[in-house]
Amino acid sequence: MRLKPWLAAAALLALAGCAQMVKVEPGQVTIKEALRLNPTNAWNRFELQFPLSVAPGASEVWTQDGITLDALAFFVGVAEGQTLGSVIPGSNKKLPLFRATMTPGEIVELYEQMVTQDGSAFALTRVAPARFGGQPGFRFEHTITRKSDGVLLKGAGQGAVVKGKLYLAAFTAPSIYYYGRYLPQVEPLLASAEIKAP
Amino acid sequence: MQRRPFLLGCGCLAFAAAAGVRADEYDYQVPPRFTRPDPGTDEGGLWAFMDREEQRLKRSSFLIRDPALNKYVTGIACGLAGEHCPEMRVYIMRTPYFNASMAPNGMMQVWSGLLVRMQNEAQLAAVLGHEIGHYLQRDSVEGLRDAKNRSSFGLIVGMALGVVAGGTAGSLAQLGILASGMAYGRDQERMADKIGVALMARNGYAPAEAGRVWGQLLDEMEGAKAAGEDVSSTDILFASHPPAEERKEVLAEAAKRDWPGATRTGTDEYRAALAPHRMGFLYDEVRRRRFGESLVLFDRLLKASPRDGQVQYFKGEAYRQRGREGDAKLAIEAYRAALAMDNAPPEAHRSLGTVLRQTAENAEATRAFQRYLELKPDAEDAEIIRSYLTGSQS
Repeated sequence: MRLKPWLAAAALLALAGCAQMVKVEPGQVTIKEALRLNPTNAWNRFELQFPLSVAPGASEVWTQDGITLDALAFFVGVAEGQTLGSVIPGSNKKLPLFRATMTPGEIVELYEQMVTQDGSAFALTRVAPARFGGQPGFRFEHTITRKSDGVLLKGAGQGAVVKGKLYLAAFTAPSIYYYGRYLPQVEPLLASAEIKAP
Repeated sequence: MQRRPFLLGCGCLAFAAAAGVRADEYDYQVPPRFTRPDPGTDEGGLWAFMDREEQRLKRSSFLIRDPALNKYVTGIACGLAGEHCPEMRVYIMRTPYFNASMAPNGMMQVWSGLLVRMQNEAQLAAVLGHEIGHYLQRDSVEGLRDAKNRSSFGLIVGMALGVVAGGTAGSLAQLGILASGMAYGRDQERMADKIGVALMARNGYAPAEAGRVWGQLLDEMEGAKAAGEDVSSTDILFASHPPAEERKEVLAEAAKRDWPGATRTGTDEYRAALAPHRMGFLYDEVRRRRFGESLVLFDRLLKASPRDGQVQYFKGEAYRQRGREGDAKLAIEAYRAALAMDNAPPEAHRSLGTVLRQTAENAEATRAFQRYLELKPDAEDAEIIRSYLTGSQS
């Protein structure tokens, strides 16, 4: 017998289980009513049903080829006393808390703590002042040696603290091929960001 | 315990049956060289599994490949293993937890979290000797025969030996599985301790250092408890072992025996061998965010070497990153102390500046940042630090 297409789609969705992709169309997008972006090409939004080690607790995670190959995570409006991201299952680590007075170097440490919960190794390669979302902020570059498979990832992120809340976007992808391939799409996307702090 | 005769067929059966320390238990007869088991046997299957894991380990990004450090650690392990040395390969892994293991196929793992915790070569020899003891006794093979569910045993051993990657391999969660399903019984641990001490003494190491290893671990656990940190995962680790307290005492008792010529601690050699990696190991230690444990460790290292600016700097880092009430002050004190010592890293200036800036001590913060930039003008964060100094915002 032939399976009806909608049934096949439903079965596939059920099989996919705890994650699904939603297409992000080019045009204006706003994350958590506070971070406005203007993608010029389509992205996939990874709908998380559980905290994921690539960016646990992110407001949204976007990808082109799948989150193990390229992941652009947005953390929108992290308030004083909150953690950046969340604890992954099985980790007994207590994540550090964000303070509005933190230096960019300290904020990058929050990011490092979040992405190394699974035992991955982090190395900072650059932090410099940079505008983000139309606000004074910083840019950082780093590498992550992923614990699960030993793959070396490269990453670039931008952040700003506006009205006491942290806005941060971070892109990571394997240093071989994927980082170079998608960074040119990520840069203009982040340059289009606008923080509309409530 | 029910040690089975097919394992060794040597006099150690009698040792294992005894309770407590007996004078002759330390006259351990090392069994003859092992040969590769038939692949068709259960032991052969376990070897094959471990061989596959070893191939994976060899390619691991977390394997520390520095030839000098490998030569040093392998040399210690080889001396302890004696004629069994050609059967073993040592892998030093960048994993910031206290662990070493030896698989039945001769694959030995030593974690960086163990190296940073040991005070001297004799302490490392105590731990490696203990693991070699399990190997010589074929404990994991015996466990395999005892295991009811053999299909999962390889996985359990793999986890216990830290070779099977899990999603949270960096955490101690997987060690919980180890404790609940793992093979080594308390009697096996006791025997391995005794073999470890015997091998230490035969290599001229002071056996008293073995008991100190456990004492140190107990102190760290107490530090964690006192700091209100969750020690349940550490407790799980100890569940299958005789209590650390008991091991500490048994080993201390063992040290009181007459061990002619066994006096070496190898403190200077140990420090020199670790020196190129120490900053990285200490960095990983603080990043665990087990500050109660780490602070006990740092104080212990400082007690042995009071002018160690590296450790003093990381003590400051522990306080700064913990960030509790009063920690900023303790961090500042630690950084200032570190900077008065010889080998404080330039980052001590940066961290001092960071904390002072938030306590509104701006003049001293500025000086600290300036000094950091003088010492490390090409630092990865030099651009952002310069922006603090000029007050410029992009």
